[in-house]
Order: sequence, then structure tokens, then C-alpha cells
Amino acid sequence: MLKSDRRELEYFALMKRAKELPISDNRQLRVAILADVSTQHLTPLLRALFAGNGVTVHIYEAGFDTVELEALDPNSGLYSFDPEVVVILQSLGKLKANYYDFPADPASFVASKATHIEQVWKAIRARSGAPIIQSTFVLPYERPFGNYGNAGVNTLHGAASDLNREICLRARANPGVLINDVDYLAAWVGRRHFIDEKLWSVSKSLCALELMPDVAQNVVDIALATQGRTVKCVVLDLDNTLWGGVVGDEGLDGIELGDRDETGTFRSFQLYLRELGRRGILLAVCSKNDESVARRVFQEHPGMVLREADIAVFIANWDDKATNIRRIREKLNIGFDSMVFLDDNPFERNLVRQLLPEVIVPELSEDPELYVRTISELNLFEVASHSELDLQRAALYRDQEERALESSRFVNLDDYLKSLETRARVARFEPRELGRIAQLLQRSNQFNLTTRRHSEAECEAMMRDEEAYFPFSISVRDRFGDFGLINLVILRHSGTVLEIDTFVMSCRVLQRGVEQLAMNKIFEYARRVGCDRVIGRYIPSPKNGMVKSFYAQFGFERLSGDDAEGLLWSLKPSDYVEREVYITEGHSLAEQAA
Amino acid sequence: MTRAEINHKLGGVLQQVFDNPSLVFADTTTANDVEGWDSVMHVSVIVAVEKAFGVRFSTKEVKSLANVGDFVRLIEKRAQ
Repeated sequence: MLKSDRRELEYFALMKRAKELPISDNRQLRVAILADVSTQHLTPLLRALFAGNGVTVHIYEAGFDTVELEALDPNSGLYSFDPEVVVILQSLGKLKANYYDFPADPASFVASKATHIEQVWKAIRARSGAPIIQSTFVLPYERPFGNYGNAGVNTLHGAASDLNREICLRARANPGVLINDVDYLAAWVGRRHFIDEKLWSVSKSLCALELMPDVAQNVVDIALATQGRTVKCVVLDLDNTLWGGVVGDEGLDGIELGDRDETGTFRSFQLYLRELGRRGILLAVCSKNDESVARRVFQEHPGMVLREADIAVFIANWDDKATNIRRIREKLNIGFDSMVFLDDNPFERNLVRQLLPEVIVPELSEDPELYVRTISELNLFEVASHSELDLQRAALYRDQEERALESSRFVNLDDYLKSLETRARVARFEPRELGRIAQLLQRSNQFNLTTRRHSEAECEAMMRDEEAYFPFSISVRDRFGDFGLINLVILRHSGTVLEIDTFVMSCRVLQRGVEQLAMNKIFEYARRVGCDRVIGRYIPSPKNGMVKSFYAQFGFERLSGDDAEGLLWSLKPSDYVEREVYITEGHSLAEQAA
Repeated sequence: MTRAEINHKLGGVLQQVFDNPSLVFADTTTANDVEGWDSVMHVSVIVAVEKAFGVRFSTKEVKSLANVGDFVRLIEKRAQ
């Protein structure tokens, strides 16, 4: 993800940086690139841009124009490389040749080509759990049919345009396939700048060199998202950001908003932010104001699009913004690197950049009219898989604030937990939940014992393999709201030993007894199937320090034989003491709906 | 722009692209004489030179370059 603005994307500077990358103990990532264009100019850029995000990338460059060969041959270099991400980059050049040589009715070209592409995805997904990043085709500029080109069925333009749409639709139906919308990039900068006939002719280059960094950055953004690196929260300043003027000085009726926002600038900015909220990005307020004055605008001003209900955490006081952003982060239990801070004031932006360098701070334009453009150019809101639960997240964290308020009224924690009337549903993985399951596996960093990023396809395989696996999830709700599916455990049999392959929990439900419930379930199952030992594994990562003593706390003992993959813990089912939890089991979906 | 000026400026651009300030070029220098001047680098060289001199070369011209001397003559022709 870009941290500030697009000046970070300069071809020659990046090429230079790629040569000087220091050796580091960064997170490693294996990325394979299959392309019908040359990739030699792209790979150094990927190295530099991934490194800028703390990732050391290992790249497998398949031979020129061998997409199908690599995908369909089980013994290809692609599979022996064992990629974690597969990038497929396809160009109009090849498509054009295909189109003009197509033997059948041109009208069937799109379906035929789309099916071809889909078969490549399926071949890869059958042999690898890696997500696939598929490019769209840059639409042609030639217009043998004039403006009719895009309307025509039997035109290259129409075919490329339909094919792009078809690829996107099919990607939605193929879990693990994500779109790299190269045509969007080309259209944004202008196809006349993007397409470079000479470079195509000399070296089969996808585009002009100066725009290659944009393509690389797009790939980096999507790949990071598949690894759980996404923006989760946007922190908003108020005065001169959400509205014009200073509400503390000019009063509720004095600020530029509604009727006084003649150009509708702030209204359209707020609509954009609300859309982010609906998408599952949490919105937080961080403002230098008296809280009551700031909240009143949200409560009473008729021109406000955003309301208090859209804001997950609302902080308005006179402390410095870095301190307040730390507070927001604590409340939401997310990483600084998943936060974006929007403020019109350069002083505040620089303060936050200095004190919290991981936070993304876009260099907002002085003209509020350009806020949305500036933010959009950074492409901060990549999605790795879309699940409905995202839509409910803002509401969920807000419920949590109420819960926190409630907890201050109770002296005794047990009394408080009982009063929440928490109910849980424990179930073996189910097909309809696989999307959410995969998402939780990709996103959870802190309460994650092994950080194994099993893909949706792998989860599905484990779900079906009743011999070797017992993978289960826990969904939780209480009287304040529905948390949804927030805990995952994957148990694997090896003889009479049961290993906890994966134990992941959303940090939103810490200290509620959910992990105790899950552990009770693990041992209940171990006894039922007659296992004589349960093995837990802790693989340390930069973010999961909070669970390093997790197994100790349940009475597990360290095994001396730790292997390369972390620390091993063991406990006999007969020695496990069942934990007391204040959770009622077995709410059904019908109840949830009611 | 004189031949000498072009020579000087081109040398600077090439030194930057290859990230080596001690590179020296003569008219007879070919890609084979310079470490790292492969077909990939050649594309970077072309783009950097076009940018530095504010000129555009045709595909045919780019493909016909045999040595640095050709390059200088081509820039001279284009920069008129």
C-alpha cells in the first residue's frame, strides 16, 4: 500500500532501489507470474514495492507466453515453486491475434475465451491453494467501427469489453480468483499514454515503462490483501475535512454543509465515506473539539450524511492526534498499518507520520473537491474476499462500545459475563461459511497460534475429509449484538494423537470465555474419538505474541522436541480440567434471524 | 546541440541508467562491451534517452542501433 502519494511510483527510482534492497528478516512471499507479455521490467518493481511494505518477495517468472502450459502441466515449474500468489498478466496484443484468427462465429469468441481463462484458473486451483490475480484486457484504441465499436457484437472493442466483464463475473464465482483491473489503470492515465507500440514491438512490454510501476503497485496491493494486509479503519478529522469551517468558532449553523455547502463538495465526500463504511471499513473520528459540540453536528445538522451510528469510535478532545489514534487502535484491536488518517491540516498529518509511521496518511489536496480523487489514486481499499459479515462490522464494534460502558457498571467480571447472555453455535465447517472462514484465516494476526493461511479451497478439502480432520467454527452473539463467526479450530488426526493445526480467534471477543469454550470442545472431541494426546503448536510471528502462553494457561506442557515449525505443547485428555464458561450453546440461524 | 554536447549528455544518461558513474563510452562501444546491457536494459536505455533529450525514436531506428556512435547520430538527427 502506498503511504502518502503517487510520487512513490517513479520507474527509474524504483529500478535503482530494487538493486539495493537490503537483506532483511522480512516476511517472505512466493509470487509466480504467468504472462503473455515480457515480465523482466515488472519483477524488479515488484521487489522494490513489496520491500516498501516489509515483504521480501521471491518471484517465479514463467517463460514468455506459457500461461496455459504452466497451468495445465502438473510437473511445471509453477507447481514445484509452490507459489503463495499466482499473477496472470494478459495483453490485448495476444487477444487481438486470437480474435482475428478465431475460426468460428465471432459472436462466440467471448464465451470461448472466457471459458479458456476459467479452465486455467481451475487447473491452478486444483493443484495449488494460492489465490490467482487475473488481469483484465486493456481495451483497444483502433476504431474500424467508429463509436459503434463498443456497441457491436462482432468488433474487437466489443469483444474485449465483454470479455473483461465476463472475467469479472466468473471470478466472483471462483473462490480465490481476484481481478487486477489493468484496463482501469490504462483508462485512468489514458490509453494513449499507457499503450506503447514501440516497446511492445521491441520487447513485448505490456505498457509504457513509466506506467509499469502502476501495474506493479496494483499487483502488490491485491497480493497484500490476500495475505491479510488490508485497511480496516479510516480515521477522520472533522473541521475542514468532513465540513467546511470550524464548528467550535462558527457554530452549528455556520459551517459549510448542506445548504451552505453550495457545491455539494462535503456531501459527496461523506457519501464516499459512508460507502466505505457499508463495505466494512470502520470509520472513526479524531477531532480537536469539545465532544458535545462535535457530536451535535452528527446528531442535529440536516446536511450530515454520516451519523453517529456510522462511527465506530468517536474521539473529540484536545489531546494530540497521535495519542488519540493510539486509543482508537486499542479500542478496535487492529494494527496501525491497517489504519488510514485523513486530515486537511498538514501539521496533524506530519505529526501522525512522525509519531506513528505505520499509519497511512494520504497527502490530501488543499481543495476538498479533490479529496476523493487523492484517496482513490492510492488504491487503499483492496478486498481479498467479500463476505456479508463485513457489512455488519461497524455496527458490531459500536455494540462493543456499549458493552464496555456496561462493564464499568459491574464490579465482578463473572457477573458481567453472565449478564451478557452470550450464546454460541459450535459446528463443523459448513459450505456456506467457507467464505467467512477463509477471510478470518487471512485476516487474523494476533490471536492466531500458527498463522497458517489456509485458502478457501483447502478449508473445503478439510471440511470434506472426515477421516483426517475435525475443523470447527464458533459463532457468537449476545444481548447487544451478533458477532458472527469469530473462532476457528482445525484438528488433525495422526494415529491416536490429535494436533491443533489452527486456532484462530477474532480479538473482538477476547475475555468472553470463547477460547475456553473452544478448548472444552477440543477435549470433548478428543475423548469421544479416543485420542490419548492433544498437541498444540505455537509458531511465533511478529504479531501473535499475545498467545505465546496460550497452551500453558490450559495446563499443556512444553514438549522438548520442538521442531522447525514452532513450539510444541502436549496434554492428555484425562488431565484436562474443563473450564467454566458463561455461554449458552446452540443458537440456531433461525433464532439469529429473529 | 553539437556532437560533443550530445556525447557528453548521453554519457551521463547511460551512467545513470546503469547506475555506474565511472562508465566511459566511445562511438564504437556496443551493448556487449557494457556489463548488464542486455535486451531488458536496452529498453530502459531507450526510454531514458528519449526522456532526457525530449525526442521519440521509431521502432525501426531502435532496432537498427549497432553502437553508441549510431545512437549519437540518431539523437543528432532527431534533435534538429
